[in-house]
Amino acid sequence: MLAMDSRLLSRQSAVRSSSMTNEINHSQLCQWLNAIALDRDKAAFTALFRFFAPKIHAIAYGKLNSEALASEVVQDTMSKVWRKAHLFDDSKGAVTTWVYTIMRNVTFDFLRKMKANKEDNLSDDIWPLAEPLSSEEESFKDHLQNRNLQGVLATLPESQQQVVKGFYFLEMSQEQLATHLNLPLGTIKSRLRLALGKLKTKLGENND
Amino acid sequence: MIKHHPKFELLKSFVEGDLPASLAAGVAIHADFCSICQQHIDLLTEQVAEMSFEQQATDKLFIDDQRQSYPPASAHLDDMIAQITASDALASTQRTAAPVTMSFKGTQYQLPNALRNMSLGKIAQIGKLSRARVQLDEGKIHTSLLHIAAGGSIPEHTHKGFELTLLLAGSFADAAGEYVPGDFIMLDQRHQHQPATEAGCLCYTVVNDALHFTQGINKMLNPIGSFIY
Ligand SMILES: [Zn+2]
Repeated sequence: MLAMDSRLLSRQSAVRSSSMTNEINHSQLCQWLNAIALDRDKAAFTALFRFFAPKIHAIAYGKLNSEALASEVVQDTMSKVWRKAHLFDDSKGAVTTWVYTIMRNVTFDFLRKMKANKEDNLSDDIWPLAEPLSSEEESFKDHLQNRNLQGVLATLPESQQQVVKGFYFLEMSQEQLATHLNLPLGTIKSRLRLALGKLKTKLGENND
Repeated sequence: MIKHHPKFELLKSFVEGDLPASLAAGVAIHADFCSICQQHIDLLTEQVAEMSFEQQATDKLFIDDQRQSYPPASAHLDDMIAQITASDALASTQRTAAPVTMSFKGTQYQLPNALRNMSLGKIAQIGKLSRARVQLDEGKIHTSLLHIAAGGSIPEHTHKGFELTLLLAGSFADAAGEYVPGDFIMLDQRHQHQPATEAGCLCYTVVNDALHFTQGINKMLNPIGSFIY
């Protein structure tokens, strides 16, 4: 436990001292959300709120161009986080992905209300919150090598995973990735090189 | 096998919630048929989420905008937290709505989940063609369910703007070949086609009959460039 804590601490200070990256502490977010789900923990919700609310507000303001509406998006999104925390399944994805989906859906319905004057709340039909894992699993069924690669991929740092996934799975060019991730091309190239080095070693190990 | 997929830029706009409901539903329906695109969507969502919630990204937004940082007053924030957590009601696990079905020329079709809460107009018929409008009220963008009875075809036509044809059931063919359910066919005014079906088919179509796009959509289409071809 102690070892775990000190590892987390050292990871955090490493992140702080680096001006290039600003990685999200996913396990912390996950702990908070689980505390809400299991104990209706208000302190955990407050912490989660303080992490997400300013960012949701900024993103919603960018789309709706209104402080009042952006504030409503924050309220609606975070209410859903509070009421749906027990539906979150950390084996299916990160907290950030889950909250993003809720926020994107709430914002979409708001935009439709503004533009088409429709209150039909279509977003949850278009982007269902509980994504079935079955389709993902099916697509990997015949690709044992692919599945193996996914496992090894998961051991890489987030920042390198992003680049590898973008480059190989989404077939984006390094230039597209640089634009998409808002990073210098050099950073993309070096991350990709680092990641591939590690992948080669690890896949080699697994094939022994 | 599905051969026609949405372009990457369309998937990205889909994930970011920037498509009109008509096209967003089209991408969602395709992804139900196509595990490859579903996988791309899942990865993109993960990435976009990660980037959206990186501190740096939003800090920059605030600086660029020269706006007052959020929240205006921390009392407001505490109020919001108190208000939200005051309720102990839990959201129910899943929507359990029965699938929506619609019958064309005596054949019953189950409609995609993405259309579950969209209001559908009455079926209009001309010969072997039956059409029900999906009433999304998106201005120049018209969305329909189009049924072509066995042996029917659509007279040769060109498009102003774009035309999305998403095959839901059955099959049809044009000069470019044969299509199967899930095929996502995006055409523009440079294309002429005359789809014909031997056994009958049901399609989801989105047509922009205007000569110019609305501002919002244009923004979405511009970076795509070769999106319509
Ligand atoms: Zn596809």
